[in-house]
Amino acid sequence: MGFLREEDKEYLREEFKKKLKRKVELLHFTDKNNQSEYSRDTRALLEELVELNEYLTLTVKDCSDKEELESEGLELCPSTKIKSERRGFMNFYGAPAGYEFQSLVEDIIDMGSDNLPLPPDIVKELSKISKPMDIKIFITAMCPYCTKAVRTAHLFSLVNDNIKASMVDSHGFPELAMKHNVSSVPHIVVNDNVSFVGALPEEEFLAKIMEVIE
Amino acid sequence: MQFTLKTKSKVTSSHHAAAIIGAGPAGLTAAIYLRRSKIDVVVFEKLVPGGYITSTDFIENYPGFPDGISGEELGELLEKHARSFGAIIENNEVTSIDLNVAPMLIKTSNNTFTASTIIIATGTKNKKLGAPGEEELLGKGISLCATCDAPFFEGEDIVVVGAGNSGVQESLYLSKFAKSIKIIEFLDHPTAEKILLDRLKEKENIELLLSNKVVRFIGKDKLTGVEVENLDSNEKKVLDVKGAFIYTGVIPNTDFLKGVVDMDSKGFIKTDEKLKTSKDGVFAAGDVRTTPLRQVATAVGDGALAAYGVREYLEER
Repeated sequence: MGFLREEDKEYLREEFKKKLKRKVELLHFTDKNNQSEYSRDTRALLEELVELNEYLTLTVKDCSDKEELESEGLELCPSTKIKSERRGFMNFYGAPAGYEFQSLVEDIIDMGSDNLPLPPDIVKELSKISKPMDIKIFITAMCPYCTKAVRTAHLFSLVNDNIKASMVDSHGFPELAMKHNVSSVPHIVVNDNVSFVGALPEEEFLAKIMEVIE
Repeated sequence: MQFTLKTKSKVTSSHHAAAIIGAGPAGLTAAIYLRRSKIDVVVFEKLVPGGYITSTDFIENYPGFPDGISGEELGELLEKHARSFGAIIENNEVTSIDLNVAPMLIKTSNNTFTASTIIIATGTKNKKLGAPGEEELLGKGISLCATCDAPFFEGEDIVVVGAGNSGVQESLYLSKFAKSIKIIEFLDHPTAEKILLDRLKEKENIELLLSNKVVRFIGKDKLTGVEVENLDSNEKKVLDVKGAFIYTGVIPNTDFLKGVVDMDSKGFIKTDEKLKTSKDGVFAAGDVRTTPLRQVATAVGDGALAAYGVREYLEER
C-alpha cells in the first residue's frame, strides 16, 4: 500500500495539471545499499508523487557520491531538492513528513510555475542580497507552525541565487540539531551563525536573516 | 511515517459575499453553514487549517468521537468537510482590514480582497508568563507547543506551568518523553477536568506543585533551572530542569484589529448574542471573542451562529 490516499492523489493530480507549466525534477539523494526505513519511506513517497503528472521526474542518486552532492550545493543526506529551469534552492534534509509534505507539494507547484506569492517590497529587499546565504529550518513532523517557516525561506530562494533554503528534520539529524541548540521548532539557522525561533511573518523573517549581513 | 496533505485552493475572485479570517473549528463550521446556504465564501488561514487544535495532542471532549481524536486529524476532517461544500481556503495571512469602506477591504501579505461581510475567527495563542528570563530563553528550553517540541526533552527533567486543562493534557503527553515533570500551579487547586486529574495520579513521573509561582527562568544560552516560590511559606527553591512548557492561558490573535472593532481589556472581541461586533456586517466567532468557555464544542457552535448572522445580514440587504 502506498503513502498517499486515493483522494489525495486525485486532488494532487488536479492541482498539478492545473498549475504545472514546466518540468520539475525531484533530486533525491539516498543510501541505496543500506536504506533505513526512514529513507525508504521518503523515496517511496517521491515515486508515488511523480506518477501523478508527466512534468514530474525523480532522479535518485547515492549519498556516497560526495562530489555529486557537493555540486548540488548539498551537505547532508538523505536530501530531496526540487529543481526546474526556474531559479530557486528548495531543499529538504531528511523526510518531508507530517505537515512538511504540504511544503513539498507547494514547492513543486512554485518551481513548475511562475508563482511568487511574496509582497513586492520583500522581493525588492531580497534582490539586493549579494552574499551567499544558507538558511536551514529545523522542524519536527508534528509542528503545524514549521511549514510556514520552511515555505517562507523556500520562497525567498526564488528571488535571489545567493539564497539556499533547506528544511532539516530534527529527528533525522539529531546531532546537527544538538549542535545548534535546537529545542523548539521552527528553529532557523542562517550561515551557521544567526539563529532564531518561530514562524515569523515574511517581513520579520527577512529582518532576521539580514542580521547575518550586518 | 505519515505525510499530511492540507488541501488548499487559491481564490479566483477578489470579491466575496463573506470572508472568514481563521480556519479553526469556528471558521470552518461557519464556512460549512454558509456554503450550504450557497453563499460565496473565502476562508483565510495563515498556518494550517484546523487552527490551535493542530498543536493539541488529543481531544476527547468533542462529541461524536468517543475514543478521542488527535488535533491534527480533527483539523483535517473539519477542513475536508468545509471543502466538500465548496469552501475556498486561501493560505495567506491577513495583515489588515478596512471596515470603513464598502465593500470592506482585506489585505493579505501579497493581495487585496473585498467582502460584504466578515467573520473573525482568528482564535488565540498561548500566553507567556512575563517572568524574568522567559523572553531570552524562549526557544532555548522554554516552549509553548508540546506536540512540536516534546521529542527534544526525551529523558529530561522538565516543568509545565499551569494546571488547567491544557497544562494537564499536555503534561500527560509529555510524560511519554520526559523523565520527570513538575506542574507548577499558582492556585491552591488544579482547574483541569476531573478525568484528566485522575489520569495524572496514575503517572509516576508527574508531580503537582500547587500554590507555587515561577519567580524566574535561569540559564544563559539554554534553560538550566526554574526558580519557584511557595505562596504559603514564601520559600523559594530552584528546580534543575532543561525544559519548561507554559500553559497559563491564552491571548487573542487580534493584533491586526486594534482600533477596528470593540474589544475587552484583554483584547478579546466583544459581540452580542448573535455574535455581531461593534461594526456592521462584522462578526466574531470562537476563542477570539469574549466568552466564558473556549472549547472545540463552543467554537463550532459559534461558527454556526455567526454564519446564521451573516446570512440574515445579507438577506436584509
